[in-house]
Amino acid sequence: MKLSTKSRYALEGLVYIAVNSPNEAIRIRQIAQDTGITVAYLEQIFFLLKKAGLLLTVRGAKGGFLLAQSPKDITVGMVLRTIEHDLAPVKCVHDLQACTSKVRSGCVSRQIWMRLTDAIESTVDNITLEDLKTSYLNRKGAGA
Amino acid sequence: MKISTRGRYGLRAIIDLAMQENKSCVSLGEIAARQDISFHYLEGIFSYLRRAGIVIGTAGALGGYTLSKTALEMSLYDILKVLEGQLSMTGDEAPEQETELRAFLRQEVWDAVDKSIENALKQMTLGEMKETFRKRDDSNFCAGL
Repeated sequence: MKLSTKSRYALEGLVYIAVNSPNEAIRIRQIAQDTGITVAYLEQIFFLLKKAGLLLTVRGAKGGFLLAQSPKDITVGMVLRTIEHDLAPVKCVHDLQACTSKVRSGCVSRQIWMRLTDAIESTVDNITLEDLKTSYLNRKGAGA
Repeated sequence: MKISTRGRYGLRAIIDLAMQENKSCVSLGEIAARQDISFHYLEGIFSYLRRAGIVIGTAGALGGYTLSKTALEMSLYDILKVLEGQLSMTGDEAPEQETELRAFLRQEVWDAVDKSIENALKQMTLGEMKETFRKRDDSNFCAGL
């Protein structure tokens, strides 16, 4: 039950921007250098994040990427859904038609997958980029 | 981030087994028929569950499988952990070399999600599943199907 690397890097890229360049556009090359994620991979990911309205591009000499919304309005859940589309670990949670079992009218397990989905969603929907930025900066400030 | 076929089918089969409480042993043939899962597939899953100590197998004409503990003592976490191998969203242990930011996200986000999955599954027992299933009004619950 694994989350894609792409999702993890998407969050990492956004938190990097929120921490290091909250007000000015930043170039992918810079982010790649500091995070160790390749430029090509970041471009792919940022394209999706831009399409989802989480990032903006700025043209020109001082161009690059900028958060499209305030960090307190972007949750981890929003970022993950942009890449994964759906956070349910089993398809039937959001789409009953996805179940082709002949005995689905007596299904014994869908309620479990629904509760598991709730647990995952309530965790990721309650962490914002602002929360992460603040606790990252606190930790750094504490000399950790 | 998906639960594998083995995890989904295996859990259904185990809940089915837990529901046959007045039988000392349940044959895989019965479970296969009730749950519409291939018998051969179930054989593979159950030999695995037996080795992991989740079920006890009895050979012979009246043989079959039974839970190794009572349904109330068995959490869904115990079972899915065996079926899925591991339930972590990011999989592996912390790598030796990691940037400060990545280590931070692992602890603050990915480990927190793993913990919420673990807690949710530890709170649910086979006993509770059995109870919910018995109580629910089939015709009503399945109206949307």
